[in-house]
Amino acid sequence: MTTIRNFMTEDHRHCDDLFAEAEQAISKKNFDAAKAAFEHFRNAMLAHFNAEEKTLFPTFEAKTGMSMGPTQVMRMEHAQIRALMDDASAALAEGNTDDYLGQADTLVIMMQQHNMKEENILYPMCDQHLAGETPELLAHIEAELSEA
Amino acid sequence: MQALLSFDKAPPFAAPLRFFLTAPFFALLAGLLLVWEGPSLLVSRWTPGTLAATHLLTIGFMLQIMLGALIQVLPVVAGVNIAHPLTVSRWLHGGLSIGTLLLAAGFQFGEPDALAMAAIILGLTITGFLMVVAPPLFRVSSTSPTIRGLKFAMLGLVGTIALGVVLALALAWGWSIPLLALADLHAAWGLGAWGGLLLAAMAYVVVPMFQLTPGYQARLSWWFPVLFFACVGFWSVAVLFELPLLAILAQVVASLLGLTFCIVTLRLQSQRRRARPDATYRYWQLGLSCAIFALFSALTVTLWPAVKDSNEWPLLFGILLITGGFLSFIVGMLYKIVPFLAWLHLQNLGESKVPAPAMNKILAEAAMQKQMACHGLAVVLVMGAVFAPEWLARPAGFAFVVANVFLIWNLAGAVHRYRQHALLIARKLAAL
Repeated sequence: MTTIRNFMTEDHRHCDDLFAEAEQAISKKNFDAAKAAFEHFRNAMLAHFNAEEKTLFPTFEAKTGMSMGPTQVMRMEHAQIRALMDDASAALAEGNTDDYLGQADTLVIMMQQHNMKEENILYPMCDQHLAGETPELLAHIEAELSEA
Repeated sequence: MQALLSFDKAPPFAAPLRFFLTAPFFALLAGLLLVWEGPSLLVSRWTPGTLAATHLLTIGFMLQIMLGALIQVLPVVAGVNIAHPLTVSRWLHGGLSIGTLLLAAGFQFGEPDALAMAAIILGLTITGFLMVVAPPLFRVSSTSPTIRGLKFAMLGLVGTIALGVVLALALAWGWSIPLLALADLHAAWGLGAWGGLLLAAMAYVVVPMFQLTPGYQARLSWWFPVLFFACVGFWSVAVLFELPLLAILAQVVASLLGLTFCIVTLRLQSQRRRARPDATYRYWQLGLSCAIFALFSALTVTLWPAVKDSNEWPLLFGILLITGGFLSFIVGMLYKIVPFLAWLHLQNLGESKVPAPAMNKILAEAAMQKQMACHGLAVVLVMGAVFAPEWLARPAGFAFVVANVFLIWNLAGAVHRYRQHALLIARKLAAL
């Protein structure tokens, strides 16, 4: 059976791949392709955050009663990552490579350390507490991700 | 028990920063020692000056940063929260700094009292650190290769410090123990079971994170710490019970495991997907290349007894692994960690109302690249000085001093800009 941890981790890797496409385009100085790839990446990230904030986290909070715990921290980090993506996107729109690379560097570490907390700590907790409802929950999240 | 949930409590910036800012001063001292002593420092690995310089680098630089960084990353990678991080940092930092200075002075000037004091201070400091960090770490189940690697590394630190304390007290108080064999073992525990395993556990996380490479293969990352630790364990048994064949076998397998890890990491980095090679990536390439040469020289020394009695090979091994390998990995990581932490704390100060400056505004890429070039040159000169000490020892020491002054300049500059931005953000918030 697919676990929440495996499913959501795979979506993190999918977002990483999209981010890498933007990086590759930048390194080839192909700014139009970079802009398109970055928007593609940003949409995938936003869809992932939405699925977590609207479906996964509330289910976890309802089941465990922990509404001010790890999910709250994850929401705060989502907000920080959203802001970083906006700044990087703005730098790309202006064609300012140096600013983009500075924002992207921060974004990569912020995003990766955030993913690590989710993958190593929060998702295993979700798997532990939400074992019964995992199949329906994942079906729901899958639908949310594909709609985006 | 599962990793705890309260991973929001990032320690204050001052907790890890004190370690990162003082460590380069110890490397600077090691460089000054080489300038002062000159060629005599490179006669053999057993001269007082060499022992002093080695410990200025391994404890003063490496261990400072390793433990300081652990206080920062344990909550993130393992969900382990350290109670009172600032208090723990103060004591740990003070104990390590005073202990290292006493130890180096004890070696350099042949002062038994300084050696004994250093052994006691360092022993107590690290035992205290382990008592704070190890229980929560070992209560977390090993859900990732990093957590498992960290646990083995902690055991490695126990072995290193136990042997180190015994050796220093034996020197100070004239105990009759097999000093040379135990010193080799102490180095194997320190550079291998502690340093090597800690590096691997962190590499599992930071290599994919900083460079967007594929992850380490699961089976390799799971088994590497166990097998490597077992090798050092067998080596220790071999020394205790005088089993030379077992010792050689353990050393060969340990070197081969280390080589595998380095080559796998190089291969992963070749598949990196970041837009441009940055200082961290280049520092790691330098570190991995030096570590590969170091491990080959270790294999040569093990399998070719004639070389073992030479003075050059063991020195070359130490210089390659410590200055070329560990120092490069560590500075490479610092160049990501310090700007990122500065950004993170500024971000929190701004309360999402005032934006924080990007990492390259805190520490510019060009400054890091230039410092790295100095460090690379210093490593080459120190290696050359092993073979031409009369010519190169003092220039090498001088280059090492320059590289570390530059490192201090870069890190202090980053902290200075962090403080300026913090003031600016406070002013902007007040005006809102």
